Parts: sequence; structure tokens; C-alpha cells
Amino acid sequence: MGRMDVISCKRLTKRFGSVVAVSGLDLGVSAGQVYGFLGPNGAGKTTTIRMLVGLITPTEGQIRLLGRLMPDPRAVAQTGSMIEEPAFYPWLSGRQNLQVLAASGGGCAAAEFGRVLGVTGLSEVAGRKVRTYSQGMRQRLGLAAAMLGRPPLLIIDEPTNGLDPAGIREIRVLLGDLAADGMTVFMSSHLLAEVEQVCDRVAVIVRGQIVEEGAPAGLGVIRRRIRVQVDAADNEVAGLLLARWPGRQQDGQFLVEHDSGRDVNAALAAGGVIAESVTVELPRLEDRFLEIVEEKDAHVVVAGS
Amino acid sequence: MLWLLVAEFRKLVRPLVWGAALAIVAFCLLITWGAANNARAALASPRIPDVCAQAATAQCRQVIAHAHGAARAAAAATSQLAQPGEIGHVAAGMLASVPGLLLIAMIAGGHWGGEWGSRTIRQLLCRESRRGRVLAAKWLSIWAAGVATLLVCYLVLAVAGPVIAAMAGLPASHSALWAGLGSSVWAAGRAIVVLGVFAAVGTAAGAIGRGQLATTAVTAGSMLLALLVAGIAGIGRLSPATFVQAWMGFGPAGYLPTNFWSRFVSGDLHVGQLAGLLGILLTAAVAAVIARWRFAADVTA
Repeated sequence: MGRMDVISCKRLTKRFGSVVAVSGLDLGVSAGQVYGFLGPNGAGKTTTIRMLVGLITPTEGQIRLLGRLMPDPRAVAQTGSMIEEPAFYPWLSGRQNLQVLAASGGGCAAAEFGRVLGVTGLSEVAGRKVRTYSQGMRQRLGLAAAMLGRPPLLIIDEPTNGLDPAGIREIRVLLGDLAADGMTVFMSSHLLAEVEQVCDRVAVIVRGQIVEEGAPAGLGVIRRRIRVQVDAADNEVAGLLLARWPGRQQDGQFLVEHDSGRDVNAALAAGGVIAESVTVELPRLEDRFLEIVEEKDAHVVVAGS
Repeated sequence: MLWLLVAEFRKLVRPLVWGAALAIVAFCLLITWGAANNARAALASPRIPDVCAQAATAQCRQVIAHAHGAARAAAAATSQLAQPGEIGHVAAGMLASVPGLLLIAMIAGGHWGGEWGSRTIRQLLCRESRRGRVLAAKWLSIWAAGVATLLVCYLVLAVAGPVIAAMAGLPASHSALWAGLGSSVWAAGRAIVVLGVFAAVGTAAGAIGRGQLATTAVTAGSMLLALLVAGIAGIGRLSPATFVQAWMGFGPAGYLPTNFWSRFVSGDLHVGQLAGLLGILLTAAVAAVIARWRFAADVTA
């Protein structure tokens, strides 16, 4: 973890009775990054985020937020956050909710309300009671609340939950703009395609432990796949020629775990097999994420047995 | 802290709080209306034993005269208590007894317990993570809502009381309109202290119950339990309900009751007013410690 880390966790652990929700988690998020936090349900994402903003106390380990050792009210006050589905006071309007939240944290300039409502596309409905808002509008209001006062750090949980495709794209652009302005964004999401497009770095948490961390493109082993189709008569020979790489047959085609189509083609040609098609496939982050989770789960099961 | 209080007061402007406060004011008006009508009915037909209804013995004439006199005195006392100067005793007594407790329980449930139920507590603590300040702001705002209701209730009764007494045909009060104002204001001041301890119990209940219904139930339930304990000889002296009784000095009610508390508390506990105040402060301190302890736990809502 660098000295410029905006978020720094060391051996962060949280136990609820005998259940270990987060175990020895080390994490570093640098200034200006958009950092994705991935994991299946129950992996410990929300528990980690709650510890970051001080809602729950770590059992062990330490957190530094904006350079301050937590718990520190000043660090929390400088952090914009949206934890899970945002909740508001339904008898107040969107603008009034923002005013109340801002006042709770010490107030902010009146112009801020117009700015964040404009950025999140809620200006026209700002005067309506929140009880009339759709889930997507509440989600946007949650983001607006998190951005109030231009905090240097945003911690947001599932920011695109409940948004339509156009809304998801807007949020993606918005997060990119915020990062371009120097804001650090730490976000968890299940929409892995979004994370892949938005985040500079990604961590995958499984069963309370980070199992992968890095740039989205380099997450895990680079497993480009080569999809090979040959004439049915050549199947047996092609199987032998491609056996040097891990892979499997699927729907009459070979899926080879290798990153060079040229190597595969050359191996087939050397054996006298002419491929009908050789296609290089770059698995989506979603596929990698699922692979990592399955591998980790399998590892845990084997170790446990 | 001032900004946080501003936010808390802004959140109090909601139908639940208005509704609960209006219900208390309406209850006080109805009690006054009912008492005036009861006093008039008693004046018109005093309670005379059946044996004297037809008889014209000297003893019965004496009994009948005494009954008429008692009815006139009760009607005059009711009329006097309904005047602007005196009626503060009714407002103060109601707010410092069961109706006020229920009001505070409702407000604490919506205003504090509701933060947990609707999960807005997360947003709040992500803005102001100093939980002691959050508790203080909740306590102050709940208390302020109770005090505001007391003032509104007093003002409404001060206007409506004389009208109700006149409409019921009670004898006109011979004392000045604002006679007794000093003791009324003193009673209201004591009621404000009691509302403070009710609010402290409500704040602790919110930290324990972490939900609207639970907070309302724990607030009302704990003080009603204290009322029950206050009626038990031996340990009743140590009940918070006894402290409230001693501090407020609630007496027996006439046609127009000045509280819904004293009938539940044993009358022979002999706890002084100062001891009552100390007991109230101790109760509030215990509630504050419990609230601080429970609110320090993880927020998983």
C-alpha cells in the first residue's frame, strides 16, 4: 500500500459470533482511482464498506481513511457514501432530504443542492415527495447525497442498482467524470461489465478474503480462449494435437486455454489438420469472476475435506 | 451540533408528530368539556341518598343542603380551574403524566426508532459519526416536541377553557382571569423537566429497540411498568413514577383532572419534591448511559 492511499486496510477482520465475515483483508486505494470491489453475495463486501464508514467496528485490524486512522469523525465527514439501497425520509421532498442530510453533516453551500440534483438528473423532480420516487430516482438521489460538498472520496455500494440501461450509462459517465476531477471512487457492484468499463482496479472478495486484485484486464491468469472448429473427420487428430494445452470440447468445437491463435493454428497445420475457424475469445470480467469464485470455493472445499 | 439540531427539527415536521400533538390537545379539550358538563349535571341534580329523596326530615334537609353546597363548590372549582390563569395546571399535568408519556413514546418511535426502521440511520451516521451528538440531538428534539405540545395545549385551553365553562353554564369565576398564573407556570416548568426524562427514556428505548414500534413500546412500557411498581409498598419509593409524582405534586382530581398519574401511585410514600427531582435526574442519567452503551454497538440496519 502506497503512502498516497486514500483507503488503506490492514488485516481487517470482522466476526459476528462464530461467523467470520471478513478475514485479514488488506486493501489499498490510491487517490483518483475508481476501485471496484467484487464478490458474490455474503462474501463480505457490505461488511467491509460498513467498517470503512464506521457503521460497524472491526474485530481486528485497522483502517485509514483519507490518511486518518479510523474511527475518526473528520474522515467520515469528508467521505461521501451510499450504503446498499439508499433510504430517505418519505415525507420530505428530494431537495429537503438533501438539505437535512447536509445539515446533519454540518451544512454546505446552497448552490450545492442544485449542482448535485442537476448532475444526477433530478432537478425537475426535486420538489416532489420522495415517497413518489421510483427506485431508480432514489438511487440517483443517493448518489446526489453522496456527492454533496464535493467529498474527495466516494464509497458507494451498487451504484447502478435499479437503474435502466440509459441510467446505468449516465452513472458510468458520471463516475468517470468524478475520477477525472480527482475524486477517488470505491464501489461495489454485481454488474461486472460496468466495473470492467469504469474501474481502474478491481479486487475480488470471496468468503471474506481478497483472492484477486489488479487492473480489470489483468485480473487472474490471462485466460484467452481459442475456439477451434475442424471438420468432423479431423476431430480425433485435432484433439491429440491440441492436448498440449488445457481445454475441452464444446458443441463439436475445441475450447483451448491459450492466448495465441497463431500457436494453435500452427500446431494443427503441423499435424495436417486445416481448421475451419480459429477464434480468439477474451472472456468477460464476469466469466473471470465466476471462475475465480469457483476455484476459490473448490479450494476451500478440498482444504476443508 | 447546531446544524444537526436544525436537521432534527426539520425532520420533526411530519404528519406523525402533528397528529400525535393534536391528539393530545384534543384530548385535553375533551377532558375539559366533559368535566364542565359533569360539574353542570352535578349542580343540577346533586347526589342525594335515596332515603332523603322523599323524606323531609331535618337530617335529610341537612344532607340535601350539604349535597347542593358540595356541587356548587365543585362547579365553582371546575369553573375556576378552566380559567386561563389556572388551566395551565391541566396542560402541565396531562403532559407530565400518561398522555404526555404516550405522546413522547409516539414521537420517539417515529423520530428516532423510525431512523432504524427506514434505515436512514445509515445516512445519518455517515454524515455525523459522533454518536453521542446524534443521541443528544435526538433527545433534545424529542423533548422540544413535547415542550411545544405543552405550550400549544396551554394556549388552546386558555382560550377554550372559559368558553367551555360558560357554555356548560358553570358559575362565573369570581377571581381575576389570570389569577393563579404563577402556579400554573411553575407547574408547566416542572412538567418540562418530566418531559425531559420521558424523552431520555424514549432516546434509550430507540437505541435498544432499533425500530419504530419497538421504541414506542419500550418507552411507554417501561414507564407504565414504573407506574405499576410505584403502587407496590416497599419498592414503590424507588420507582421513577414515584419521583415524577413527588416532583409534580399531583393531588386528587376533581371533575377536571389535572393528571393521569396520581391514581396509580401509592399515596403514602412520602417522597419530597427535591428527592423527586433528584430521582428524575438519576433516571435520566441511567437512560443516557443505556442509550450510549446500546448505540455504540454495530449498526447493521
